[in-house]
Amino acid sequence: MHKSRTRMGCTAFVAVALAVLGLAGSASAKLVGEFTKFQQCPWTNAEAKKCLYSLTEGGKVILGNKEVPIVKPVTLQGAFGKPVERISPFIEATNKVTLSKTSEEVPGGLLGIVPPAGSSPLVKALSKFFFDNALTGVNATLELAKPASEIKISELNLAEEAEVALKLPVMVHLENPFLGKSCFVGSSSSPITLELTSGETSPSSPNSPISGKAGAFEFLEEGRVLQLSGNELVDNKWSAPAASGCGGILGFLVNPIINAQLGTTTKGHNTAILKNTIDIATAAAVKKNNEEHP
Amino acid sequence: MKNTRKRPVRKEKDETMNSKATRILLRGLFAALMVSAVFAGSAGAAPAWKFESKSLEGSETILGGAFESALTVPGLTTKCENFLYKLTISNSKSGTGEGSLTELPLYNCTTSSKACTVEAIAAEKLPWASHLTTVSTSSYIVIEGVKVGILYGGEECALFETLATVTGSAGGLIDNTAETATFNSSSFSATKTALKALGSTIEWTGVFPTEAFEWHREQALTAS
Repeated sequence: MHKSRTRMGCTAFVAVALAVLGLAGSASAKLVGEFTKFQQCPWTNAEAKKCLYSLTEGGKVILGNKEVPIVKPVTLQGAFGKPVERISPFIEATNKVTLSKTSEEVPGGLLGIVPPAGSSPLVKALSKFFFDNALTGVNATLELAKPASEIKISELNLAEEAEVALKLPVMVHLENPFLGKSCFVGSSSSPITLELTSGETSPSSPNSPISGKAGAFEFLEEGRVLQLSGNELVDNKWSAPAASGCGGILGFLVNPIINAQLGTTTKGHNTAILKNTIDIATAAAVKKNNEEHP
Repeated sequence: MKNTRKRPVRKEKDETMNSKATRILLRGLFAALMVSAVFAGSAGAAPAWKFESKSLEGSETILGGAFESALTVPGLTTKCENFLYKLTISNSKSGTGEGSLTELPLYNCTTSSKACTVEAIAAEKLPWASHLTTVSTSSYIVIEGVKVGILYGGEECALFETLATVTGSAGGLIDNTAETATFNSSSFSATKTALKALGSTIEWTGVFPTEAFEWHREQALTAS
């Protein structure tokens, strides 16, 4: 009786251990080859039809008078659903980092920031104290202003160099010890809406039309991964709201100074040029690659 | 005094220079005329469709199927077992060979990838105009307004449910001996034609027989 109980206990233990090992095996399934880029693709989501991984390794964002070159790579990843009239809804990356928060250095930082000529002596003195010193480096980070589901993508427009390929609601986070943690151009309620195209733009004056390009495409993994290299997405017809939340309690002083530094940011004064390598695979292909490598 | 003495010398020199300049100008003019005459001759020698060495009068229908044909983008080749065509040919008043591609049925198409199938493929916006042209003594047929829609299938295919449209113009080398038109990167380059799909230039290779089907059946067709 005792031996029988022991045997049953051992059998159950082994079964549990095997189950745990089995689960561990399943959890450690991994993507290999060109599919490793899709680690954060929500391919288990039934709505996800294709996985996307876009790496922006160059380009620039011109906001009014300030030009910020993209030096550090920025990642856009996630999945997109079935298109309706060429436009697909976007699905958030599994790690919630759909658009990587990559800080880019603003050339010149805050050095050179001069308060408007009519400012009071106090504002001029504060401006000199805050900005005319060694700690004036400023970083700008492009962040999603709305949930990832508000991103729209058109695979066909992207490839055919026509109309809007990627609609991206963003805000620019300006970071500096003096600006505080909440200095933004754009917000969730008033985002900067980039309507990026691989074709030609039709901006308001004084900007003039610029062209993006689909880039060269190549099929990898026996047709399971489509890679667009040398892709360029552009938009120079967007507008940006005034900066807000800058300088903490001194916002009433700092916000106008930052806005004066940025200059006019209405339509026709801003530009976004994103130079990318884009990888696309179906959710089914990613799932299979995952299952094949437990 | 010095000036008076030198004047005739300068005049003589001027006259010599003028006559040299005139000769050079005349030679240049003559050379230019010769060159333009050569070019005019070349332009006038645009090839015509001929049967048994006689220029085609009226029109004729050419029917055929590709001996082989493949559409390639880096990493993916699409082939069709049945790549048929119907081309109505004629010569213009100036004697240049022309044509109108009226039918291009494509069947049994596959890809080089296990993941990708061809769900549908069809020529769009037919007829496509064509004409003959000469490049470095060789005759070419140039087809304009090419538009072929390809819908790829296979749920693992990166282009799954994506309609890829091939557009552009295609130039093929005409071989009068073999009676074929060959389309490849060399013929595209020679005729300065290109096909694009999904924003990129693609490669199309194909060898098509040029055989008359109506009044000139079994007669040798040439473009010259």
